[in-house]
Amino acid sequence: MKQLYSIPLVRGLVWLVIGLAAGIAFVVGIRFALELPVMGRYLFTEHAWVFGGVVGTLAFLAKHGVMDGWFKVWKGEEEAEHHEDPEGWIKYLGPSLDHKVIGIQYTVTAIILFLVGGLFALIFRTELAFEGQQFLTPDQYNTMMSLHGMVMIVSILLGISGLINYLVPLLIGAPDMAFPRLNAFSYWISVPAAIWLLLSMPLGGVETGWTGYPPLSALPTKVGQQMFFLGVFVAGWSSILGALNLIVTVVRMRARGMTAFRMPIFVWSAIATSLIALTATQLIGLSFQMVMFQRLFGMGFFDPAKGGNPILFQHLFWFYSHPAVYVFILPGLGVVSELLPVFVRKPLFGYRWVAMSSLGIALVGFIVWAHHMFTSGMNEYLRVPFMYSTLLVAVPTGVKFFSWVATIWQGKIPSPMPTAFLFVVGSILVFLMGGLSGPPNAIVTTDLHLHDTYWIVGHFHNTFFGGFVFPFFAALYYWFPKATGRRLDERLGRWHFWLMASSFFVLSLGMMRVGLLGMRRRIFDYDPELGFQTTHIVMTVAAFLIALSVVIFFVNLVRSLRYGEAVIGNLWNSRSPEWQVPSPMPAHNYSAPLVVVGEPYDYGLPGSRYVDFAPAKVGD
Amino acid sequence: MTTHALDKSAALNQGVIIFAYLAILTALEFGLAVALPNPILLLLVALFKAGLVMYYYMHIYKLAQQDEVLPRNSYAYKTGSNRLGLWLFLLSDAFVFGALLATRFNLWGMTRPHLNQTLGLAVTTVLLVSSFFMNRAETSIAHGDRKGFLNATLITMILGIAFLVGVVGLEWQLAQLENVIVNKDVKGAVFYMMTGMHAFHVLTGVIFLFLVWRNGRRGAFSAERYWGVEAAAVYWHFVDVVWIFFYPALYLIGTVV
Repeated sequence: MKQLYSIPLVRGLVWLVIGLAAGIAFVVGIRFALELPVMGRYLFTEHAWVFGGVVGTLAFLAKHGVMDGWFKVWKGEEEAEHHEDPEGWIKYLGPSLDHKVIGIQYTVTAIILFLVGGLFALIFRTELAFEGQQFLTPDQYNTMMSLHGMVMIVSILLGISGLINYLVPLLIGAPDMAFPRLNAFSYWISVPAAIWLLLSMPLGGVETGWTGYPPLSALPTKVGQQMFFLGVFVAGWSSILGALNLIVTVVRMRARGMTAFRMPIFVWSAIATSLIALTATQLIGLSFQMVMFQRLFGMGFFDPAKGGNPILFQHLFWFYSHPAVYVFILPGLGVVSELLPVFVRKPLFGYRWVAMSSLGIALVGFIVWAHHMFTSGMNEYLRVPFMYSTLLVAVPTGVKFFSWVATIWQGKIPSPMPTAFLFVVGSILVFLMGGLSGPPNAIVTTDLHLHDTYWIVGHFHNTFFGGFVFPFFAALYYWFPKATGRRLDERLGRWHFWLMASSFFVLSLGMMRVGLLGMRRRIFDYDPELGFQTTHIVMTVAAFLIALSVVIFFVNLVRSLRYGEAVIGNLWNSRSPEWQVPSPMPAHNYSAPLVVVGEPYDYGLPGSRYVDFAPAKVGD
Repeated sequence: MTTHALDKSAALNQGVIIFAYLAILTALEFGLAVALPNPILLLLVALFKAGLVMYYYMHIYKLAQQDEVLPRNSYAYKTGSNRLGLWLFLLSDAFVFGALLATRFNLWGMTRPHLNQTLGLAVTTVLLVSSFFMNRAETSIAHGDRKGFLNATLITMILGIAFLVGVVGLEWQLAQLENVIVNKDVKGAVFYMMTGMHAFHVLTGVIFLFLVWRNGRRGAFSAERYWGVEAAAVYWHFVDVVWIFFYPALYLIGTVV
């Protein structure tokens, strides 16, 4: 028992529960003293649950050990920024400061949430297979659908943080992130966030979809809605602090000789992503906080009866939530640009343009948010400017596609194709579908018809699969040997890819089809007369096949961890610095500082070099 | 140009002069609001004040300092990284306050509730004076004057607490008498949200200052190593910059309803 408690994660969770109970008890006590009602529909009142959640988060962070370094600094004691991790898997449950451990923590948490979110999708997808009510109540359906959205979003945010944390210090030749303690903190704060998000289920669920629009989300009927807001708010801090850390790392920790245009392209996309996550995330936090306060204290921001404006919420919300989709896809597109030259043995076409296109997408992304609101009743004069700014996003995105196609052009396609390469090509094709189905939603005239239909659902699943899921798997297959010293099985990998890619095309084209035929999103039931009953059945089967492909991936992951082919060398014949040293990477990365002496992607050019490992200077 | 380039008395004098400018501009702002209530003019004055604080008190130019030659593990190089990190945090935080200002103009438009103007001006003055002492504390420790640094930090902290008492203790009570009530309408909602969010930042700043003051008494800072003080100071001035925009938005711009 005592041994169990000594595991930091367990200790944190115990204190999370204690904190939750203490917070609830505090509010209950105060309300009792003020002779206000103490008990609510979900055991206690909303105030008690929310305050308990806040206290629980703080208790988790304080007792888990992730803040111990700061506590020492605040007390005025000296504290080293590096400490040795315990041996074995136990280090993944503790406050390690090693960016590679944190990267793996992020990635594993992302995959767990990916499974949870996927499970929700299967449940409500099965409900939708046939018209009429099957086995979910409408409330349960809404909860599943809403949490599928938000859990997947948090999963993606953690997934990109995992990639960025693990890869960026290696790619720029740094020993670690700029702020290792902050890095650990950003990861561990996401654990209570995920818990609050999922706790919304037993507390009445969420009925608003992932967007949480008031006035519906402001109706004080379900405590679950509040826990949903709290979870997203806390997860937002993980994103903000991680982005801050990344920008400082890239600006201050690059190897000598690595000028801006000699950085790996993935680093550029990580910077672009982080600029959005750093700033815009505050607005979703604030907008959700304002709805929370509206429910808790009766502050009428979005309540027309009190002079409030529900449209204001949508502006604040989408100011983050549109750029957020670029947060999701930019690292993935960076992975595609990073891996393509390695596989086809050619320089990345238009390196500078690709680097700038990431920044371009990020910056234009800040001025397009209101295209989500063409039908909301906002001022009509806003429609056309936002339509044009949205269409502008296609320009830098197109630059990326041209670069990919031109990089593949006359390249040496590896044979047999490695799974990582398959996933790279898969991302390009799937993201192309996502990209091409975008402009119809940006153009006001067509969007008025397409808004809130399943067409939109098909569109953004294509962008997220093409922009995140496929590149994420590509990165896992590609860098797994770097992290573990073993290789994922290629045969299972090919099964994983072909099953996932083909079923995903069926699923997403089905979504677009039913959307064009008039299926609205977020609805629990539909009229069979609309004529898409068969498509729904096919889509459900496809969804289960995707789930099967993920199961194959897990079998592969678990087997390869133990029995995979041992690989310690430069498996992909890459020029990138992390492959020039044996796998798995040692604790403080490169034993000697490296110097960048050439262009990163000059594959196939004789005599070109990217990095040199300088001999370690005495006393450095 | 930088504080270090000046000797101690010149640096302290610069703080006084900037404070004088800020005081005059605040008076001008108040006068404008009475005589010529043009929001654009008030915005320009606020921007000018914020610029002064950001340049002379927060030393934003230090971000551009070239320190690539320093060893990566030196205190000075790490301070440069920390400084960039802090400014990025402030940029992020600025989006919260920017969104609150957008909320205020969306919901209130060109109106404002009737509030106690004397108290508003008084708390603004208190915060401004606290910024002056904060600058004095940082300048003192930068020149190795530990006693001056401790005293000025203590005064800043006390003024910060006075600001909190003024806003949360007095203004929140008085506003209720003016029918600005938290759950009645957006007049109350926006007022308490904006002042509350700002007060929360002042509170964290006071805690930060307390830690700096206590560690400073134990000799944690010197003329060469005082990043903790600089961080507390930059954060404190940032909270002041936020109020430079919040004060006219809440008290001066628009017609009273």
